[in-house]
Amino acid sequence: MDVVVQLQRQLADHTASLFHEGFLNDQFNQLQQLQDESNPDFVVEVVSLFFEDSERLLNELAKALEQQAVDYKKVDAHVHQLKGSSSSIGAQRVQGVCIPFRNFCEEQNIEGCLKCLQQVKHEYSLVKNKLETLFKLEQQLIAAGGSFPTL
Amino acid sequence: MLLPTALIPCWYSMISRVERQVNLNSHDFHSKLQYEIENTAKFLHPINSSATNLAGVLELSLNGTKLSFSMIETKVAPPLFQAWSTIPYLSQISYTGLEGLFFSYYTGQNQTLAVYSNSSYNSRSSAPNVKKNFNCYIQHVNHETGELYGNSIECPPLNLVNKRWFQEALNSTNGYASLETGWNNSQDLILLSSARINGEGVISLGFSAKVLTARFTSIDRQGGSLYLATKDGKVLIEELKNTHMVLAGNMVSVQLKKPNGEQKVLGNVSCIIKDGSPRASTLNIQGTEYMFYCSSLDMVGVQSVYVLAFPQKGLVSLVRKNRIVALALLIVIITSMVVSILSFAFIFVRAAKREMHLCAALIKQMEATQQAERKSMNKSLAFASASHDVRASLAGLTGLIEMCYEEANPGSELETNLRQMDTCAKDLLGLLNSILDTSKIEAGKMQLEEEEFDLAQLLEDVVDLYHPIGIKKGVDVVLDPYDGSAIKFSQVKGDRGKLKQILCNLLSNAVKFTCEGHVTVRTWVRKPSLQNSIIASNRNGLMKYLQCLFRKSNEAYNDLEAMNATQQDPNAMEFVFEVDDTGKGIPKEKQISVFENYVQVKETALGQEGTGLGLGIVQSLVRLMHGDISIMDKEMGEKGTCFRFNVILGTCENVSCNNAKAEDLEMVDGSHTPELTLSTPSPGLWLRTPSSKLTVHTTPSPKVTTSHVVLLIQNNERRRTSQRFMENLRIKVSVAKQWEHLPSTLQKIKHKENHSCHNSSGKSDLSSPSGYLSRSASNNSSGVDKDVPLSSMDGSDYILSVFKRTTPKFASSFILIVIDASAGPFLELCRIVAEFKKGLHNATCKVVWLEKPMMRNINFKHIEEDLVDPNDVVISKPFHGSRLYQVVRLLPEFGGTLQGNSSKLKEEIKFQAEKVPKDPSSSRSQTYIENSSTNKHSTQQVELQDHGSSIEETKRKSMSPIQTLSHVGSKPRSPPSNGIPPKEQEIQEIGNSNDEKPLSGKKLLVADDNVLLRKLAVASLLKLGATAETCVNGQEALDLVCKGLSDQRKLGASKMLPYDYVLMDCEMPMMNGYEATKQIRKMEKSYGVHIPIIALTAHTSGGEANVAIEAGMDVHLGKPLKKEHLLEAIRYIDAK
Repeated sequence: MDVVVQLQRQLADHTASLFHEGFLNDQFNQLQQLQDESNPDFVVEVVSLFFEDSERLLNELAKALEQQAVDYKKVDAHVHQLKGSSSSIGAQRVQGVCIPFRNFCEEQNIEGCLKCLQQVKHEYSLVKNKLETLFKLEQQLIAAGGSFPTL
Repeated sequence: MLLPTALIPCWYSMISRVERQVNLNSHDFHSKLQYEIENTAKFLHPINSSATNLAGVLELSLNGTKLSFSMIETKVAPPLFQAWSTIPYLSQISYTGLEGLFFSYYTGQNQTLAVYSNSSYNSRSSAPNVKKNFNCYIQHVNHETGELYGNSIECPPLNLVNKRWFQEALNSTNGYASLETGWNNSQDLILLSSARINGEGVISLGFSAKVLTARFTSIDRQGGSLYLATKDGKVLIEELKNTHMVLAGNMVSVQLKKPNGEQKVLGNVSCIIKDGSPRASTLNIQGTEYMFYCSSLDMVGVQSVYVLAFPQKGLVSLVRKNRIVALALLIVIITSMVVSILSFAFIFVRAAKREMHLCAALIKQMEATQQAERKSMNKSLAFASASHDVRASLAGLTGLIEMCYEEANPGSELETNLRQMDTCAKDLLGLLNSILDTSKIEAGKMQLEEEEFDLAQLLEDVVDLYHPIGIKKGVDVVLDPYDGSAIKFSQVKGDRGKLKQILCNLLSNAVKFTCEGHVTVRTWVRKPSLQNSIIASNRNGLMKYLQCLFRKSNEAYNDLEAMNATQQDPNAMEFVFEVDDTGKGIPKEKQISVFENYVQVKETALGQEGTGLGLGIVQSLVRLMHGDISIMDKEMGEKGTCFRFNVILGTCENVSCNNAKAEDLEMVDGSHTPELTLSTPSPGLWLRTPSSKLTVHTTPSPKVTTSHVVLLIQNNERRRTSQRFMENLRIKVSVAKQWEHLPSTLQKIKHKENHSCHNSSGKSDLSSPSGYLSRSASNNSSGVDKDVPLSSMDGSDYILSVFKRTTPKFASSFILIVIDASAGPFLELCRIVAEFKKGLHNATCKVVWLEKPMMRNINFKHIEEDLVDPNDVVISKPFHGSRLYQVVRLLPEFGGTLQGNSSKLKEEIKFQAEKVPKDPSSSRSQTYIENSSTNKHSTQQVELQDHGSSIEETKRKSMSPIQTLSHVGSKPRSPPSNGIPPKEQEIQEIGNSNDEKPLSGKKLLVADDNVLLRKLAVASLLKLGATAETCVNGQEALDLVCKGLSDQRKLGASKMLPYDYVLMDCEMPMMNGYEATKQIRKMEKSYGVHIPIIALTAHTSGGEANVAIEAGMDVHLGKPLKKEHLLEAIRYIDAK
């Protein structure tokens, strides 16, 4: 039981830190609420979708920005999508970087865009790590036979 | 210059012409005179020939016969006489024979006399020596007949034959003329004209020179003098005085006769005639210039010379003189003119030069200015863009620091450094933001964002924010409730963020520059009239106000009319804020410049960082909000500065109830009872509708006692404001300034209290104000307090209207002791209070401890049970705002319940201690909190709260679970924007307490290209009980709808919708949401249906929403999709 309690605490701490540090916002809570018996892995599914989507978008962004003549419209559309998907799962830091990114796009500021891309990548990897850790903890908890804390 | 140079020659030529003319005239005159003289001479000339003619006549009559005297007498004498009487000017006439015969008539002594010599020479051969014996006789003549009469007088013979003129005449055929002396006695000069007869006699006619010369002298010579002489030097006329002329050949030398007889030659006049006119020569005789003309003249046959002399003082000399004077004058004038012109030109040139210099300088200056302006413009542009970049990179920096911070070992040096770096970076960001704000304001791009908010809440938040900082410095930050008007109108519409910025700025300044004492913030409301505004900005009066308005007008109001409209808006109220500190103050002369950008008052700014932008921004913001800021004058001796500003905000008192209801609807669906809503411990709701929720209408009891409040607060200002606030509420207040005074104060009250109990058994208190009862009763009975017009309210009425009095049911009096726990040793204080309580018989006593946050545990753990009444309430400082109102509400008159020693007590205390408002309906809220407060939930709450930038977060982190729980209670005090979504709990409520699926049975179509979003949306919909179909773009959505519609038709239910709602993403490949919507709208027309389409965009701006609505979509929702938004949207559509 100790392990379960410890894990639960760890999980709680981790979740709390995610919110505290602004990686996630309330949207993620909503996401969690959507998960129920009928849809047990909803959050994981959605988040992995987000990962796939984001990685694709980031790659395309990197490609688009490498080109000589940068198609800012395309970049803008990608960033827009990224912003939409990140806001959907509540990854608000990623979302936050998307805003200046779009501004730079409008200004056609390649340097700013590249900087923002780096930031987005960074934030994305951070939030990915965090979320993966979170899921791992949850799995461990379930594996340990602990009940998943209900909301 | 040109005129005089042209005029001078003109004038000169004119003058010379005049001179020439004058010269010519005088010359003419002179020559005329000469001519006249010569004419006269010519006129006399015929006289010359008369002698010859006579001789001719005589010769004829004689016929060459030898003449004897008798013949002479008969033959010669009568013609002579005839000639004598006929020829004019004749003074003598004679016949002289070669042989000595002589006969002559002449005039002597006015008588005509005849002289004759009758004896001839003896021999024919003439010998001169024999002539001597000839006798000569003079006889009178009858001047009519010429006959001789009277005695002949013998006279010496006239030896005429030997005379030169006789010889000459005898030899010449044409006669001869000469000037001789006459042979009468007077020896007058006569002109003798003679001619020969037959070679043996000579006829001579003598004319008197005097008569002839009189002809000349009678000519009008106009001042000229005439000199006439024969060529052999005999002078006939000499008119010039004192001069003598000597003829020498062709020259006449003029000699001056001096009085002493000497003669001096003055000059010669030439008589040679050139070009037909005599030459004029000028000589000076005794100071007078004379013109001399000399010419020869044939006068009755005598060759002679005449000289004309004219004095030269006439017209010519006048002209000449004038010419010289005029020339001199002219020259003087011209020179002066030239000089003046030159000097003028010089001055002009100098002026022009100077002007040119100035012009050049001006141009240079202007160029410099323009350059400077350009530079400044470039600078600010570069600045703006740079600051944008800087902000971005700074944000990156803070993010990185935070990341590092995570990974650093707690407590290590690295962590400390990182923390400091973080602080620095955040400060930098703040500075940058203020600079950007300034440039934004300068560019006029700042706009007000209208939103509804709770002003009282805002004020309290701001003050609470600075309270800990102030406390650290030993400065108390006090929120003065003032007249309570701000509480009444606390629900306002305006720009919350900017107002907060203003307040924060002023407060942070106040706290920064105050080292001791306190900072007070007070607010009141007044009607926005022009009058008020002038008073508010009384420094510069109306003009400033108008100016202010015009500045504002950039925003939404363009002119004064608009302003009037604002003022006439019944909901617009003027809020006046004052931030009053006891710091160093600002010197008077600096007060104006304080509001300028980049200005810091040096004396007070020592060692204080900052850009000096703060107040400039504040002023701009205040003006943006239609107000003005100024520094109020403090009275002498008072320290510190008092900033006062007024802004115009819309109040929404009437709206608030509706809003609350709307929120209710949002939070709960229909099944929720209003009670449940009300029970949520949200002070927002709680304050908004104070009358409906706080008031417990009880029947007025005749037994009324009054409460008594004892305040022991260290800080003077806080004590004063609290006391005044309570007194305005007509609560009896006693104050103790130091803890030592507390026992005596309490003693007094106790005494009174016990005394009254003895005296009165149910009657009103002695100590209560006499008017109180009736007034409160009337307030209650009439119920007008809320509707009292603003103008007629005084301060206390505001408060009374907020805190509705109720008549307490309790007979015993109530004593509330508010003690600042840090005012003295805590144990001592507890003892005093306990003692006081023991002595009370009839009254209920309650103690409120004011605590610094963090101190409570320590205190309570070490104090014995008996000292601390479990009824006591502990409130953390600062004691103002909602905490103050809470304490007031503990009083029975204001809805407080009096605690008995019931078994429930402990639990109750806990919640009181946690500042859960004492509410009649609080029991439900407690259960709710207890029920819902699972471990995880509370943790999450705390985290969320920490995420919000509350100052107290660090303290809260380390709190025990009970405290944590208390924060659940106190959570709503932090502003809604702090990142705590107020709907959180509502969602939980929905999730937990309501399993209904509002969308069950509904079928929706989700069109979104993003898998993630699609999945999310579907999950949400499933959760709500709906079924969902998905598609990835607009085209598919269109196809699906089309198919659905046609299927429906086939089934014969064409009016049925294929999908109840369509969730349409706007930006999709193939066909975007707008296009798809348009197509669907087009198509569904033929079916006569309308499928509700809900647009989903990541854009939150209004522009997108408008596009969506225009495209035919019904509702526009922002991503991410939120359940409650969706539900609301569906409700909206259904209601349509």
